[in-house]
Amino acid sequence: MGIPTAPMVTIAFKDLALSNAAQRGMPHERICFTPHPVWGKTDAEMYAYLEGNDPVSGKPLMKEVIGALTDPLTEDEQKTGTVPPSVGPPTFSDTFDNLQQYYMDNGMTDFMQIVLPTQERVDAMLKGTSHSPDEIIGKMSPARGSYPDWTFNVRQVAINAVMAGCKPEYLPVVLALAASSLTALSSSTNSFSVAAVVNGPIRDKLNMNYGIGAMGPFSQPSAAIGRAWTMLSKNLSNSGMPGQTYLGTLGNSTNFGNLIIPENEKDSPWAPFHVQKGYKAEENVVSVFVGFSISQGQAGVGLGVKPVPLYHQALAYNFIPFGPLFGAVAVMDPLVAKGLVELGFDTKEKLADWLQKNSTISAKDARSTLFGGRWVPDPNTPDDAMIPRYAHADSYNFVVVGGQTNPYHMVANISYRGSVSIDKWT
Amino acid sequence: MNRRKMLSFLGLAPTLLTAAAAEAEKAKAKKKDGKAPAGEPKIEALNPRGIAPAIQLVPMAPRLASLDGKTIYLVSDGFPGADHFLAQIALWFQKNMPSVTTTYRLKAGALPDDDPKLWAEIKAKGNAVIMAIGH
Repeated sequence: MGIPTAPMVTIAFKDLALSNAAQRGMPHERICFTPHPVWGKTDAEMYAYLEGNDPVSGKPLMKEVIGALTDPLTEDEQKTGTVPPSVGPPTFSDTFDNLQQYYMDNGMTDFMQIVLPTQERVDAMLKGTSHSPDEIIGKMSPARGSYPDWTFNVRQVAINAVMAGCKPEYLPVVLALAASSLTALSSSTNSFSVAAVVNGPIRDKLNMNYGIGAMGPFSQPSAAIGRAWTMLSKNLSNSGMPGQTYLGTLGNSTNFGNLIIPENEKDSPWAPFHVQKGYKAEENVVSVFVGFSISQGQAGVGLGVKPVPLYHQALAYNFIPFGPLFGAVAVMDPLVAKGLVELGFDTKEKLADWLQKNSTISAKDARSTLFGGRWVPDPNTPDDAMIPRYAHADSYNFVVVGGQTNPYHMVANISYRGSVSIDKWT
Repeated sequence: MNRRKMLSFLGLAPTLLTAAAAEAEKAKAKKKDGKAPAGEPKIEALNPRGIAPAIQLVPMAPRLASLDGKTIYLVSDGFPGADHFLAQIALWFQKNMPSVTTTYRLKAGALPDDDPKLWAEIKAKGNAVIMAIGH
């Protein structure tokens, strides 16, 4: 644009702002910082910020803003050219313990011991795919559009798969996750979760657990694949640097292994998830989701009704806290799915349609949420109008998993982001 | 901003600095007792990092000699609170620098999206921008 600009950011995002400016070519950008937060403050409180000092520089804030627009440029501020960033040397050499500490100290792990990625181990891992080690797979960033994309190749994914404890036969799944471009460590202040639903014969080939404890620490492939997703997100896209590329204020423990969900296709009365998305049953596919995390659905209204609990009403009740920023996913034991079929929902689509029509919120309540403008865009909508929680049925998705010890389910305010062929990466 | 932080912000690996520091420590240890650290085997392991994009330096736009009589666009990127905050900045200029004209605009699209139409307007009619991130 060529117009002098003074960006203003709250101090909570100082490192992020400085880092982003530097990585976008303006390491000396004249960012003016305010106290945190701005959101929720009264007009008088905000005006007081302006009359006070920049909490980073200590200088009077508005004087600094004016200076940002009028002080002559320094030599550094006028520089052009290219800075080729370095990610360090290709190898590290030290004792076992020192290397473990080194990888951890440099933000390359999940703070647990890793399998050291020696050349021998990486060569063995690369036998898990027919693709060339130098083949570029794709790109990923901590938040698309907000950070520069990093790219990565098959070898780099394999290194991270070794670190996570994967076997070579898991590599196609990990490559597919990398190819999804979805980081497991979104930069958002929200502390997002990610989920990966695995479908196809590969679940049995890898001995993935879709029975009792399917989403828990009871399966080496699920544990290693989920961990690899976190590792590669950190190392291949620069995600997960607190204060710079990770701002999740609470953090999310699901990010250690993420929600890896091999669907229980054989016990489900419905079509598998990937078939719903247009794949053939015999294809191996991973489908990825991102959003607010997962919680139990056992407080759902209607679950005490006999002989068949009103699972659909329970789901509608479970979805009450969900906002429109992300979709609604129910992860349910096969017993729940079979109960829903008894209630007349013989397809996932019928259940989604029913929920879209019957899961509603008043315009008044919707307006009072953080997402009021998005949920009720028309200011003329009366307060007592009941609007659908989601405008489209495809915001609802269902996955069947579990060992049929009890008809339980969980719900997650997460959105489907796409499916990737695992077969492509074998 | 210290050098380590600057290098980190530019995507240059702290390992570059850590490696140098580690070498210095080893040299110190060697000097201390005259021997290399005792014989635990060394392992060579690979760097797991991906390919960071090259950084194209962008020179900053020339600055104004003063703001007197100038038009400043106050641009919100849509974070909650940014609009109210910028309204206070407009008020501040009215009280303290009344010769400055301020014009409020909400950038179109999602937070990281460009708004070429707005940039063109500012280039045609404005002299400076204050952009507030809110939060």
